[in-house]
Amino acid sequence: MSIISVRHLNYRYPLKKELTLVDLSFAINKGEFIGIVGQNLAGKSTLCQALIGLVPHFHKGAYGGIVEINGINVQESDVNTISEKAGIVFQNPFTQISGSKLTVYEEIAFGLENLGIPQKEMKMRIDQALKLLDIYECRNQNPFELSGGQMQRMAIASIITMRPEVIILDEPTSQLDPKGTEEVFRAINALSKEGMTVIMVEHKIESIAKYADRIMLMANGGIIDFDSPQKVFSRADILDYGVPPPVYTQICRQLGIRNKNTGLYPITLEEAYEWMVSTE
Amino acid sequence: MVIKALSLYQDRTSLVHTIDPITKLVFILFSLSFPLILQNIYWSVGILIFCILLLLLGKVFKQTLPILGLSFILLLSILVIQGLYSPKNETLFFSVGFIRFYEEGLLVAVRIILRVTTLLCSVCILVLTTKPSDLIQSLMKKGLPAKIGYVLNSVMQIIPEMRSTMATISDAQRSRGIETEGKLITRIKAFFPLLGPVIMNALVSTRERSMALEVRGFNSTAKKSYLVEPTFSRIGFPLQIVMMVVLAGAIGWRIFQ
Amino acid sequence: MTSITVKSLSFYYKKEDPILTDISLTFDQRTTAIIGQNGAGKTTLVKLLKGLLKPASGEIWINDQDTRVVSVAKLAGYIGLVFQNPNDQIFKSKVIDEVMFGPLNVGQPKEEAITNSMNALLMVGMEDKKDDHPYDLSLSERKLISIASIIAMNTDIVIFDEPTIAQDYAGKETIKRVIHDLQKKGKWVITIIHDMDFVAETFARTIVLANGKILLDGTTREIFLQKDVLVQAGLNLPHVTQLGYLLEKNKTVLTIDEFIKDSKL
Repeated sequence: MSIISVRHLNYRYPLKKELTLVDLSFAINKGEFIGIVGQNLAGKSTLCQALIGLVPHFHKGAYGGIVEINGINVQESDVNTISEKAGIVFQNPFTQISGSKLTVYEEIAFGLENLGIPQKEMKMRIDQALKLLDIYECRNQNPFELSGGQMQRMAIASIITMRPEVIILDEPTSQLDPKGTEEVFRAINALSKEGMTVIMVEHKIESIAKYADRIMLMANGGIIDFDSPQKVFSRADILDYGVPPPVYTQICRQLGIRNKNTGLYPITLEEAYEWMVSTE
Repeated sequence: MVIKALSLYQDRTSLVHTIDPITKLVFILFSLSFPLILQNIYWSVGILIFCILLLLLGKVFKQTLPILGLSFILLLSILVIQGLYSPKNETLFFSVGFIRFYEEGLLVAVRIILRVTTLLCSVCILVLTTKPSDLIQSLMKKGLPAKIGYVLNSVMQIIPEMRSTMATISDAQRSRGIETEGKLITRIKAFFPLLGPVIMNALVSTRERSMALEVRGFNSTAKKSYLVEPTFSRIGFPLQIVMMVVLAGAIGWRIFQ
Repeated sequence: MTSITVKSLSFYYKKEDPILTDISLTFDQRTTAIIGQNGAGKTTLVKLLKGLLKPASGEIWINDQDTRVVSVAKLAGYIGLVFQNPNDQIFKSKVIDEVMFGPLNVGQPKEEAITNSMNALLMVGMEDKKDDHPYDLSLSERKLISIASIIAMNTDIVIFDEPTIAQDYAGKETIKRVIHDLQKKGKWVITIIHDMDFVAETFARTIVLANGKILLDGTTREIFLQKDVLVQAGLNLPHVTQLGYLLEKNKTVLTIDEFIKDSKL
């Protein structure tokens, strides 16, 4: 069953001449892990914001088409109602901190307080999220004192405690070091395993190739391809859209190592290794 | 990078700490208006001593001293000006050479000093023994709009964050050969290269933060709940009543005197 | 003559909480990457090199100038630093004016500043945006503008702090080319960076910082041979190197081309 359905979505920012999103139509199933790739300005972030209703409710401009999330028409609803269905985590961990709370625990509670969730329920959800994302030991620290990876996981915790069915992540690791990136990917993978629908924009191709069920390749506001990672990254023309395939795929393509039946190349380290060893 | 919250709160265990913020606010009002109503300098001294006792009880008297010290210079100048030049001056109190201090002026000055010091002390009782967030939460429950509450709460943290952004910007511009220290003219020249990025950064982060707040139910119409309900001594409310009654009594006494 | 000498440098804000401890180091014309986890002291080190911070003990000499006494503005003529976030510096309403700001500050005559700025914009591929308003550009384009604004200052040493953040493939390729171009021009390039693939493809020398100390220092190939030490420091290996190790235990492969060449032997 599809949890997100987008039909002929067009969008243009105020004061801009060209469309940022051009006639997008697709559907996402419940529990899927979707990776969105594409070069800068391809429209990835704008699409994320359209799925959550920030476009057109926060950013005005010209809007056309239908975005439905769990049966709710985003344009006819409001951000509050949608935020109970879907949450979003942004690139910069700093600007997501409300700045009004002194501890991580209280910061995560911020959204829940706004929704009027009873105290007992709040604590239960926060404890659960802290443990799932492996930041339980930082719960009494000041949010501004966390490392980037911890801060970003706190931002994720703040969203998932609101119990959305979909979580959207817009380049959540771009400002993190390798360790922080690893921590965030592990956390998101844990969420995905719990059955949450995950939509993630990411430049770290090797990581997204490893975790995603499907990859959406975007360019110039449109969708070029939306298929299994292996199919998308095996495209001969993918670099034309400003996206390099994973290093493993590039190597195997040059060495001609591929699946005889499907003609597709390996996309992860393990796959590449296995296929290389078996062809020797 | 350590970002310190702007707060004077002193974390202690004392009876004063257990009193709720609203009662402390009422006390500020009380300590100001009571001597005003009675117009009696002994009562003013009495209230001030009472405030100091409360500060001692709250184990925060030491933190009050620098604040009092700062205002001391200002108060001293009031004493001198009033003592020398008050239009009411008639009775010579004492003189040093040709400088003459008059009783009337000095008395006016003493009253002002007592009032200001009392105000400072009673505000210190509130500020030093109450968590800012508890104060704001109490006010929100009394009807302060949630958005104003948020702004008040976040100012404490956002200002230090802005300060660290400003330090980075200053570093970035100094790296491009700009002097930010020294003569006034140098500082003026450095003004725009510093101000521009500060404003742009503030705009960018405000926009990002408001999106992040938006998706966390900031504009939700649901009745807000609170993670922590601070527990305060039950004595607060009766104390408020007592203060109100005493004030009413004082007013009555003044009218029928 | 370009030179950077760091002698038993220590730095702290609070003595009990040292950020850098007893670092001795010299740099040369090799492109150099400084890697390490957040909080390892990388940014503090480059701020010390720039004179933005002063050593708690020890000393740093840049082109025979003692950073402890020379002003930051004077040092700016020798050593340029591109900050992580371009928004921390941009304030002019035209790209070309923004780029020319640094060169004019360090005393370049106007004509020279224009030439240097145009060349710098050309180098980062932004020459056709010279009359645009910087805030009409995307963040990644603004980053390229901030890079150009430092290059135009024509310093002997150029330091980058996380140049590839928020850059896509094309942006990274541009930055890689800029680093090589600068090196060819005889500039010394030092870069703080988290992207290990980029390190392997771009830099000749790599320094690993951990807990305020130098953990490793050598050619990039030597560094990525120290697999276990790196993992312990919270770092990972370039993707291609990982595959190389899986296939042949003790060989460090740094680029895809190397890998292909090896495989065809």
